[in-house]
Parts: sequence; C-alpha cells; structure tokens
Amino acid sequence: MAATVAETQPATPALSAGMASSHQLHQAGNAPKPLQLTRTFKLADFTRVRTLGTGTFARVCLVRPASATVPLEEDKNAEVYALKILKKTEVIKLKQIDHVRHERAVLADVAGHPFITNLQASFSDRDCLYLVLDYVPGGELFSYLRKYRRFDEQVARFYAAEIVLVLEYLHEKQGGVAYRDLKPENLLLDRDGHIKLADFGFAKRLGYKDDRPVETYTLCGTPEYLAPEVIHNKGHTTAVDWWALGILIYEFLTGYPPFWHQNPIEIYKQIVEKPVVFPQEPHISDEAKDIIKSFCTLDRSRRLGNISGGAGRVKAHPFFHGVNWEDLLSRRQPGPIIPPIRYPGDAQCFDMYPEDDGKGDVYTAELANKYDQYFEDF
Amino acid sequence: MSLPEAYQLEIQALNKQVLQTCPSDILQFCADFFNSRLATERAASISLFRDRGTPSPRFPPSPTSHHFGMMSSQFSSPFGANANPFGGSSSNANPFGGSASPMSSSVMHRVVEEDENDHLAPGASMFSGAFGGDASTEAPPTLRAPPTADSYPAQYNFSRRTSVSAESLKPSADSYDNWTPPFTEKTPEQVERLKCAIEGNFLFSHLDDEQSAQILGALVEKPIPARGIKVISQGDAGDYFYVVERGSFDVYVNDCGFIEPGPDGLGNKVGTIQAGGSFGELALMYNAPRAATIISAEGSCTLWALDRVTFRRILMESTFARRRMYENFLEEVPILSSLTPYERSKISDALETQKFAPGDVIIHEGDPGHSFYLLESGEAAAYKGEEKVLSYKKGDFFGELALLNDAPRAASVIATSDVKVATLGKNAFQRLLGPVEGLLRRTRYQGVKTGVEEMDPLHTE
Ligand SMILES: Nc1ncnc2c1ncn2[C@@H]1O[C@H](COP(=O)(O)OP(=O)(O)OP(=O)(O)O)[C@@H](O)[C@H]1O
Ligand SMILES: [Mg+2]
Repeated sequence: MAATVAETQPATPALSAGMASSHQLHQAGNAPKPLQLTRTFKLADFTRVRTLGTGTFARVCLVRPASATVPLEEDKNAEVYALKILKKTEVIKLKQIDHVRHERAVLADVAGHPFITNLQASFSDRDCLYLVLDYVPGGELFSYLRKYRRFDEQVARFYAAEIVLVLEYLHEKQGGVAYRDLKPENLLLDRDGHIKLADFGFAKRLGYKDDRPVETYTLCGTPEYLAPEVIHNKGHTTAVDWWALGILIYEFLTGYPPFWHQNPIEIYKQIVEKPVVFPQEPHISDEAKDIIKSFCTLDRSRRLGNISGGAGRVKAHPFFHGVNWEDLLSRRQPGPIIPPIRYPGDAQCFDMYPEDDGKGDVYTAELANKYDQYFEDF
Repeated sequence: MSLPEAYQLEIQALNKQVLQTCPSDILQFCADFFNSRLATERAASISLFRDRGTPSPRFPPSPTSHHFGMMSSQFSSPFGANANPFGGSSSNANPFGGSASPMSSSVMHRVVEEDENDHLAPGASMFSGAFGGDASTEAPPTLRAPPTADSYPAQYNFSRRTSVSAESLKPSADSYDNWTPPFTEKTPEQVERLKCAIEGNFLFSHLDDEQSAQILGALVEKPIPARGIKVISQGDAGDYFYVVERGSFDVYVNDCGFIEPGPDGLGNKVGTIQAGGSFGELALMYNAPRAATIISAEGSCTLWALDRVTFRRILMESTFARRRMYENFLEEVPILSSLTPYERSKISDALETQKFAPGDVIIHEGDPGHSFYLLESGEAAAYKGEEKVLSYKKGDFFGELALLNDAPRAASVIATSDVKVATLGKNAFQRLLGPVEGLLRRTRYQGVKTGVEEMDPLHTE
C-alpha cells in the first residue's frame, strides 16, 4: 500500500523544447501502476492526525495506519496518507453524486502521473465516502503565493509549465478529461517543490458518445476562475482549463486574479464583458501578457490550448521559451520553493482548521435505500 | 475575417449611444465617445492601485458617463459599483443608483496580514535547471518581497476560495425523454415589460430569439398580496430569480450574512426595487445563500419567477440541439467528410449564426470567398448574373470551397425567405484544425450525394 509514484521515470527520447510533439511526452503518466483499489479498507484501519484542508464538499485529514506505534515526529519512514472524507448526506444535499463518482473514476485512471495526487484506494461506510490519497506534504501553492504576494516570472513559469503538462495529459492522453477547478488552492507542492494537482471533484471524462465528443453543461468551478462559456451555459469542453490557466498565471504574477469583486455576480459580469487588464505595477513581460490574453479569450475558436496544435502550441509559446519539457516531466530539478518538511508526516505547511464537530444530518436508512446504489463502486 | 473582440464591443457600445442620442454632429459625437472611453480605461488601471476608496476599482466612475446615458456608479456599497445585492436590476430601475449608500461605511478592507512566524525555508532553492541555459544567464531569481502597499488592491479578499456547483444536467436528447419548457400565458404587454426587464442583464443578453421566447414563456406569475411578505431571506438557499411586475420591494442586508432574531434582525435597509427591476439572479447559476432579504413594501404586488433548473435546461437543450444539427449538417459536406467527429464538433462549436431578410444578398458574385455557410432555416437561391442556377433549403450549404482557396465567388446567393445561416470563416477553420490543405485533401474532393457541390456555383475552376 505504500507505493509511490516518484520513481516512475519517463523513457522519452530527447525532444527540443517548443517543438515537442505532445504524444511522446507522456510515458511517465502512462506507466502502468497496479492500483489496489479492490483491497478493502475501513476507517478503523487509520488514525487521524489532523485536518489538512476543507472545501465545500469535503474534509481532508492526515492519517496513518492504526497499527503505527512510533511517534509521528520520530518516524523517518512514516506511512502517511491524506484521507478525503465526503459525507453522503452532504453529497446528496449538494447534488454532487455524479461528481464524486467521476472524481473516484478519473483519479483511478490518472493515478501515477508525476504531477497528480495519487489515489491509493477508496472505500465507504454507512455515512461517508473515503478516498485514500498519497500525502503531499508541501501544502497548497496558495499559501506560498499569499505569503510572497506574487511570484517572479521564472517561478510562475515553472509552475505553469508543470500544469501545462498535466493538462496535456488529461486532455490529450486521457481522451478528453476536463479538470474544471484549477486554482492555487488545489495545487499542492511535494517535498521537492513540484506541483501535485489535487481535488478531482469536478474532473470529468467528456469522452465520446456515438463517436462524438461530448460537451457538458453543469456549472462548476470557482467563481474567479470560471470560463465565460460556463457562465453562459453554452456547453463546455476541456477549453475551460486553458482559460483558468490564464487566470492562474495572472494571479501568480500580480497576486490577485484579473476579475474580482465581493459580489460573485459582478465577477461573472466582468468575465463575460471585460478584457483582462494588466496593472502598471508589477511589470509583466509582453510574453506573459500575451499568453494570459491568449488563454483568456472569449472565443473558443481562438483560445490558446483549444486551437489546432493543442498543448503543443502552448508549449511553443514564447512565455515558455527555454523550458526543457522533458527534464520538467522527469522532475530532474527541484522546484523553486522547497517546502520546509522535517519528517514525512509533518503537516506544518498546512493551515490549521477546526476539527470535525461530528454534527451534520443523519444518513437515514431511507436515504441509504435510495442512494447507496450510486456509491457502490466506492 | 473577424475584427478584434474588444473593438467590436466598443463599436457596439458606440452604435447603441448613436441610436439613443441621434446626434447631429456624428463625427464630434464619436470623437467624444472614444475620448471618454479612453479616459475611463486609463483611469481604471490607475485607480486600481491608487484609489482605495473605490470598492470596485475596475469600475471607476466615468467622468463623462452621463453624456452617454451609462449607468452611474458613484455610490459605494459592499457589493461595489452599480450593483444591487442581487445584481439583477435593469439600469433604468436601479434602486441603488445615484445616491450615496448608507453601507459605504461597512466596506470591508481586508489586507493581508504578514505572518510573523515564517514557516518557509529561508533559502528557498534557486530556480534553475529545467529552464536550461536561459535561466542561468539571468540574475538568480528571487521570490518577490512584499510589494509596496500602493500596488496591491486592498479590497481583494485574499482568503481561500471554495468551489461552487449547480446540479448536473443532461440534455434530454441523451436520455430519450422529451422535455418541453413550462409555459405560462402572458399578454403582449407583459411580455414586452419582461423583455425590457431582463434585456440588459448579462445572463440573458447572449440568448437567441428562441431561447428568449422560451424563457419569457417560462416565467411564472407570483402574486404577493400583502405588505411585509418576505420573498427571500438572507442566508437561505436560492433557487429563483424574480422580476417585479407591480409594486415595490425593500432590500435589507444584515452584515452577519443571515437574519438574526429580534426587531432589527433584518439588518439595514439598503434600497428599494421598483416595477421593472429584478433580483436574485445568482440563483440562476447555482444554489448560493441569498445575500439580502427582500420584503414587499406595499400591498398587492406581483412578481414573475424563474427557477434555475428551468433556466439552465432551456439554454442547454437548445444549445445541444443546435450543435447536433450542425454536426449532422457538416457530415453531409463532402470536403469535410474526412474530418473526425471530434474535428466536426470543434467546427460546430465555432459556427456563428447570421440572419437575413428576404432579398438580402448573402454572398456577392465576384467577391473573394472567405466563409462557408450552412442553411439553418429558410430558403435561398444562387444567381449567376440574372440567371438562377440553384435553390437551397434547410441543411444545404454553399461557399465551402472558400475553405480551400480565396477564389472569387462565382455566383451570388440571395435569401428568398427569412434565412438563418451558420457560418465559418477560413481563418477560424484553420485556427481550429490547422492548415486546410492537409485536412481537406486527406481524401480527394469528389462531389457526391446532393449534387450541389459538384457544380458549386460559387467556385470558379
Ligand atoms: N493528497 C493530499 N495531500 C495533502 N493535502 C491534501 C491532499 N488532498 C487534498 N488536500 C488538502 O485538502 C484541501 C481540500 O481538498 P479538496 O480540494 O479535494 O476538497 P474539496 O471539498 O473538493 O474543495 P473545493 O471547495 O475546492 O471543491 C486541499 O485544498 C488541500 O489543502
Ligand atoms: Mg479544492
């Protein structure tokens, strides 16, 4: 159960940056890795250390095997996991049944990619659904961004480049998986400072039906990062992730997203009506401005990443000039920020959250009768 | 060949102003318009960092906006410029417009606090390596020190953001059950009023005629017989959007986010919404807690209500149906026959609708060909000089060879009835799918099926 993905090294031939054909860069992600998703766990197999993060739907806790005896601080080889806990009543109330099923399915398909949080197993009990994920100890990129207020262009470029590789993998190698919730809060840093994309709560395999790619209509995401076609309910595709990447690079470089307001409606108005405007301070290079504008293009037939060439075209953009994509994918160099991790189970990079008070609606037998069929494959 | 989007938006705004104002000196008017726009834009980027008193730096008051009848945004509220808490009111009925709001004092100023105990490694590693030679020639990159206060917007809420999501919807064509939108009979006057009320709203402004008609039909009348009835309560789940048909409604906001017990539990009154106004539009996107309480301010008021699922479903079903129709049409176009379904779907995504009245010229003989057309509804005919050479009906297409070359059109196409076409330019086609040469010549172009293309009158050999 303690397998990790760090060892999956690609055996890719050298490709010059920019000209890279998207198809050869993904062996790392494709390395077959047996997942023991069938092995059954129960909550009692784990002890909770503490909460690492909470979102709208879930709570994620640092856990270790119940059998562990060495104090966590002294355990140099600690087996630790991030346990994502979703309450069935909440999932039903918030109408997220489809989404959690997709989350589990997509995570299982993409497990092993160097820049994606690795799913080890999933299980459920009467009240909750659980995802057992490899613990990513560096904390949210969000915390570092707010701490430093903004990133240098090289730093932003590094993280953006790793995300390009993830999106290329999801969109092009995984047959049209849209991620749909890109934001600094969902980007974790591993111990070497590389990105791990977390929270596949909205990820969906758009796939094909009757030989046609399927678009999807469910509004989801995070207000500041929603693409205009999502707001207008036009049916959306993987193109929404490229829009969000533009917003993300902007936020990296300035410290705040291009469209913001106290009132979400005002954010949406801006997104569909206003162009991205850059501040005079800090100075943003022309290449950075151009890539942000190319991603944040209302017209999807013009949006970088969605136009012909896909991710390959993104990699060839001047903003990424000099990036060695092969080295990047093989994690040859550490990232620009090395998280201060003292021992494997160290959670000091995560903010503190109040622990679960155990309150919430009861999952009644009636609900179980009606809905448990949907949670079966957990 | 389309013009830049930002340009088109400006021109649209100008057109609107010209229509509204009917100026006698057109040139002067346009010059003033652009001057004012420029000033506003410049002010926007400057005030983003200077003017901390403006809650929404992106919408600074435009010094000359009243000349052009634009919405005034000089008041400030926690919701920022020109917004009611629900953002739904139309400009001429903005209950919050103009006057200073009592809430300006409660504008939140969130500033990031500096975390004293620095938990980051002081020697965050130098950034190098993956970026090869380039990175090494530059000064060692550093993470930026906290910037001067000036360059950081104080009003932005820097805390973690959580996600939002609506219920998932699937087009009924997928599940084979038929869905017809709900319909409530309305008088023509009521429909007109409703149209006016939702016209300027960004959630409705992009709809096509059929979608608008379905949505206007779906609005349900909701009588509010007495004064003091809470239509929505702050903090509650929101599923409906409302338009005020008759009467007026008061808006209360409690700073704590929900109604508290006791006489002042509703919080402060922040405005009144009159007939023609609207509120609660966020509920059309997803279920979010209501941002204010709305109470009828007089007896016998009437509202029109629209729920989220109906709204989203109407948009989804029609978008879905149109896409499938386009894809089916495209399948019939021989030069596109070698495209994969994925590629065809990208094209149907990018098709733009245009309308023509009977007698309108869709394509001019002799013009260079840049776009191709699918006839979505109506009828049209091709003429070489005076001679009619072909007629087109729904599902037919013409001008597709423009995707291959820029040869002049060999015939004119004229609408013989009200016509709707879906069109795509060569440039958009190439942007989406790459060089046409490779794609369209994957298979030899051979006229089959309808015969229209064999003698494409728009193509000169
Ligand atoms: N594998 C992991 N290792 C460490 N921390 C994690 C891991 N997975 C998630 N977290 C932490 O938990 C937080 C919440 O998880 P997640 O984003 O999956 O929940 P959510 O409820 O879906 O959130 P959202 O509101 O964005 O939908 C993350 O932002 C992250 O800080
Ligand atoms: Mg999250």
